[in-house]
Amino acid sequence: MEVRLERINKRFGAVQILKDIDLVFPSRKFVTLLGPSGCGKTTLLRMIAGLEDITAGKIWFGERVVNELAPRDRNIAMVFQSYALYPQMTVRRNLGYGLRVRGTPVSEIDTAVERVARILEIDHLLERKPAQLSGGQRQRVALGRAMVRKPDIFLMDEPLSNLDAKLRVTMRGELRRFHLDLNATTIYVTHDQLEAMTMSDLIAVMHHGVVQQYGTPAEIYSKPANLFVAGFIGSPPMNFLEGEISNRRFLVGDGSLPLPALQVEANAQKAVLGVRPQDLSRAPAAGQDTITGTISLVELLGSEKLVEVQLQNRKRMSIQLRADAFVEMGALFHLRFDPQRLHLFDKESGNIIPASN
Amino acid sequence: MRRLHALLSSDRAVGLLFIAPFVVTAIVFMVYPVVEAIRMAFYSYNPLRPDLSAFVGIANFEFLFSDPLFWDSLWQATVWTLLSILFQTILGVGIAMLLHRALFGMAFFRGLLLFPYIVPTVVIALIWRWIFNPEIGVVNYSLLASGIIREPVYWLSTPTMAMASTIMLNVWKYTPFVVICVLARLQTVPLELYDAAKVDGAGFIRRFIDVTLPQLREVLIVVIVFRTIWTFNKFEEIYLLTKGGPGTSTFNLAVYSFEQSMASLRLGVGAATGVVMMIMLLIGSIVYLRITKFGEEVR
Amino acid sequence: MLTRKQLWRAARDALLYVSLCTVTFIVCFPLIWALSTSLKPKSEIFATPPTLVPRTLTFENYEALLTGRQQYYHSGPQTAPSGPTPAQFFTRWFVNSVIVTAGSTLISIVISTLAAYSLTRFRYWGRSVVPYFSLLGYMVPSIIFVFPLFLMMVRLELTDSLWSLIFGYVSITLPFCMWLMWAFMRSIPIEIEEAALIDGASRYQVFRQVVLPTALPGIIAASIFAMIVSWNDYLFGRVFINSLDNLTLTVGVMLFFEGTHVDWGLLMAASVLMTVPMAILFMALQRHLVAGFGAGAVKG
Repeated sequence: MEVRLERINKRFGAVQILKDIDLVFPSRKFVTLLGPSGCGKTTLLRMIAGLEDITAGKIWFGERVVNELAPRDRNIAMVFQSYALYPQMTVRRNLGYGLRVRGTPVSEIDTAVERVARILEIDHLLERKPAQLSGGQRQRVALGRAMVRKPDIFLMDEPLSNLDAKLRVTMRGELRRFHLDLNATTIYVTHDQLEAMTMSDLIAVMHHGVVQQYGTPAEIYSKPANLFVAGFIGSPPMNFLEGEISNRRFLVGDGSLPLPALQVEANAQKAVLGVRPQDLSRAPAAGQDTITGTISLVELLGSEKLVEVQLQNRKRMSIQLRADAFVEMGALFHLRFDPQRLHLFDKESGNIIPASN
Repeated sequence: MRRLHALLSSDRAVGLLFIAPFVVTAIVFMVYPVVEAIRMAFYSYNPLRPDLSAFVGIANFEFLFSDPLFWDSLWQATVWTLLSILFQTILGVGIAMLLHRALFGMAFFRGLLLFPYIVPTVVIALIWRWIFNPEIGVVNYSLLASGIIREPVYWLSTPTMAMASTIMLNVWKYTPFVVICVLARLQTVPLELYDAAKVDGAGFIRRFIDVTLPQLREVLIVVIVFRTIWTFNKFEEIYLLTKGGPGTSTFNLAVYSFEQSMASLRLGVGAATGVVMMIMLLIGSIVYLRITKFGEEVR
Repeated sequence: MLTRKQLWRAARDALLYVSLCTVTFIVCFPLIWALSTSLKPKSEIFATPPTLVPRTLTFENYEALLTGRQQYYHSGPQTAPSGPTPAQFFTRWFVNSVIVTAGSTLISIVISTLAAYSLTRFRYWGRSVVPYFSLLGYMVPSIIFVFPLFLMMVRLELTDSLWSLIFGYVSITLPFCMWLMWAFMRSIPIEIEEAALIDGASRYQVFRQVVLPTALPGIIAASIFAMIVSWNDYLFGRVFINSLDNLTLTVGVMLFFEGTHVDWGLLMAASVLMTVPMAILFMALQRHLVAGFGAGAVKG
């Protein structure tokens, strides 16, 4: 089922949490709300669930406005950050609770619970209480509880954040598989960009209660709409240099770099240049498209080496090299910029200055 | 001076030095009186003639068990306790649920509702005698004026009503205790549990039964057991309001023990009653430890 | 514009406030009524219909208590009292109550704070049983040991003195002060003290400069409970004291009933004055009181 948000606003007293959110979650897609803590993503999710009032705007489920519907009438399921399993009930009763409350016959509940338990491989845990389960098992029960009712919309609020790093990677794949099996629209909230990039069909990057960019993971990575998205997405984070656009070149400190053709040519405009560490390379000698600095830090990441280069204006740039690259602390380093892989942002607004294709 | 300093810098010495006052005080003012109370239960003891004190074996207990008033007191204490606890628990949970709302002015209500707990029992008893006075009390006046009753109710001078009045006093004074305990626990119930129940489709009543009550289970057990133990042995709440009367209709074991010691000067019998109370207390404590599986969830 | 949901919620909140106000009124009514009675002149106390807000405000009852002036019915010579009247002793009893409450609280707090520190920071035999033993002690009702304690006071020749009450109240307040302080001390992380020890502070300095300030909320909570218990006690005062001069408020005020006439105005004024110190304490330190309840250490 398609979920559509129309000019959604949320205020707590004088504080504006969400501002004019317009989003469409296409049917059966996996959409992630991504942003730092406090950006309003969880509030938005809770509004979709019906757990939070809507200050202004409309939420559509298909052709229906659900603003006034209680959570129970929305045919949604939700996985909570803390899992929120009922501590006094066994796994079996936890899984079946939603059906029991709705007066489903016992035999049907049993079949549904056992089916889900088999899929999630927790059928041997059915008689245990949540306190006797490990973190990963609780996570599965929470998922199972959401799956039992065959919801139209599947809501997840940072479901992996309480797991250890290794389990988180495994669960990422599993969640994605469950999504494909379930055939429901999934709305997923996280602050972890890696989760968002690996699992989603679409990502809405949020900051300060506003959607900064909405698009596929690839779009968001390669064409960030503004400085915030550029800085938030990608690891290690993008390098930024402040400077000025002048005659299709970017003036920074005592050097300058070539720029691609811009859609709207600008001159003497204050701008920020962004470049990902992966998009920088090493030049054998100084040239037209290089800036020189000294190596101030080297980190071996395993398959790569992360090198930090300090420029003359004391600004530090990081560059990702192959692990076998020869680098020496304190040595001179010529950074080469590829004009096609630069991102230019307006210094005032932070918005992208698009290049012409 | 230097020696003192050396002593203070030695860890072990400091530890023992700090605990010593407690040990001494506890032995003199806590352990000794209780041991003495048990010893006295096997002696005849008249405070006016201490020289005539003598070991009497279990004579005091025989006296006790053959005294119908003792059994009446035991029964009345049981009724008193059970009804008090019942009302305290129901009202306490109810009021706590009311207070557990993030509404404007809650702190104000909270403060006022906890107030009775700190009011001296003497004061409550006095006020009770005043407002429940059959002829000039405001309670009877209001009930008569509103037509709920036709005759004045003799709150403190008929056995049933006297019992009811002491229960009311007890409930009035100690419900705040239940409220505070339940409220503290309510505040730790994860909100996500309620959200999960809402998404699962549970209405208000089901959420209370399936989320709130199970979370309150432990604290209610603790509160009920503790309150039962204390209520059963209460003295002032009854004595100051009715002196155990009219007649002996509101006697409990504490009042019985007090009257035996103070009015009849049978300190041995009073002490024997105390021993019976201690045994009941012990049973209560064992029940408590059993229920909470000692140590598993030490609060 | 209000949606149905908002209307429903407003109605629910209104209902909530109404029920809260009702409950609060019922709970506070006895106290309000006592205050009202104490401020009425004799004639109005027995008026029908009774008035909640006094028509004529008078402080004569309070004046009588605080100045010790004899204030009796002026209806006839037969009511003139012969001996001393309880009102004359009121200020004296008040001072007595303050002395025994302060004394016993101070002793209990000092002893229990030191002991709790020792129990949570040093290792020796029996350190883990002491708090539970203490908890057990605080469940024993005072009616059981009041007479043995009295006989002990007789032997120490302390009967009929404020000292006997101070010691008596220590015996009822110490166990739960101990339990509360122990629970509190246990929750203070030991690392701060270790840091101070490494920085070169002596045990004594650590205790005074690091432990005491951190333990202050616990000390306040324990003090409030100790004060409430001592101030409100009736039993010990009744058994230990037999001269009018040394009575505490609770026992003394009960003597107001001894005469043929009960002066309700005076009695209610006395009740109000007895409640005021605890009320002030309660309002000033309510936050800590709740914290103390939370620690599970309440005598009641």
